Amino acid sequence: MPTEREFQVAPIVPESVMHNTKALSNLQSLTASIFGVAAGILGLESYSGFLFYFIFTILTTILFYTFRVAPTSLKSGLGAFDTSRYFRTQYEFWAGGVFGGLAGYILTWTLFYGLVRA
Amino acid sequence: MTWFSKSTTTFGFLLLAHACPSSSCYSAYEHSALQSHRAASLSSLSATTQQAAASSSLPLDISLETIVATVIITLGLVLNTAKLRPIQWRVWAGQIERAGEEGARNSSGEIDKDFVGNPFKLLESRPGFVDIRKQRKEFAEWVKQQ
Repeated sequence: MPTEREFQVAPIVPESVMHNTKALSNLQSLTASIFGVAAGILGLESYSGFLFYFIFTILTTILFYTFRVAPTSLKSGLGAFDTSRYFRTQYEFWAGGVFGGLAGYILTWTLFYGLVRA
Repeated sequence: MTWFSKSTTTFGFLLLAHACPSSSCYSAYEHSALQSHRAASLSSLSATTQQAAASSSLPLDISLETIVATVIITLGLVLNTAKLRPIQWRVWAGQIERAGEEGARNSSGEIDKDFVGNPFKLLESRPGFVDIRKQRKEFAEWVKQQ
């Protein structure tokens, strides 16, 4: 964890942090609903539905990294899967959206399951 | 790039719609309706027929179409997200110094609403340090020369 002194030496831009976090969380909540639709159509139940969600959320994050983070991040000399150019912590990027979209996912999952099967 | 991401998303939604109401969802709905109808008619014929048919899994093509549609929509939405901005002050300010307004354009070619411009503007133009008498004298000389 960076100390106060390090923040003074290398300050960060709060507007950029907010902008990046918003871009990622918007994408996560939007795609979570779409995954719910797909899971409902496939008629997934219990654990397989949650597994489906986690697999596709991780896929989304990897796609986001490939298209939005990697091109400039790798050019600036950071290692692969290092998101420190755009996000404060690695955890925030890789795991932050997993639980943010879960509620929306369950909503559309149950809705479409009911529509298709009932 | 924006037309590409938008058309990808639209295509994915069409595919999902085919699997659901017409492609993915509709087919799935038709399938489950057909299965339950069949089960009902079979059970009326003989009481011993199994009810398992009603809950049989989807045909492979519908499942595949749904999954492919989901991946395509995800790809389109990812390509449609806004450009990220560096969070470290020196990287961010350096990028603005180098690229200017061009760097702040979003995918549809407009300048972002919250683009602040040069972060060192405050230091580069300080009205308190302007020598107004000197400028006035220079202007008077320029007027005389005309």
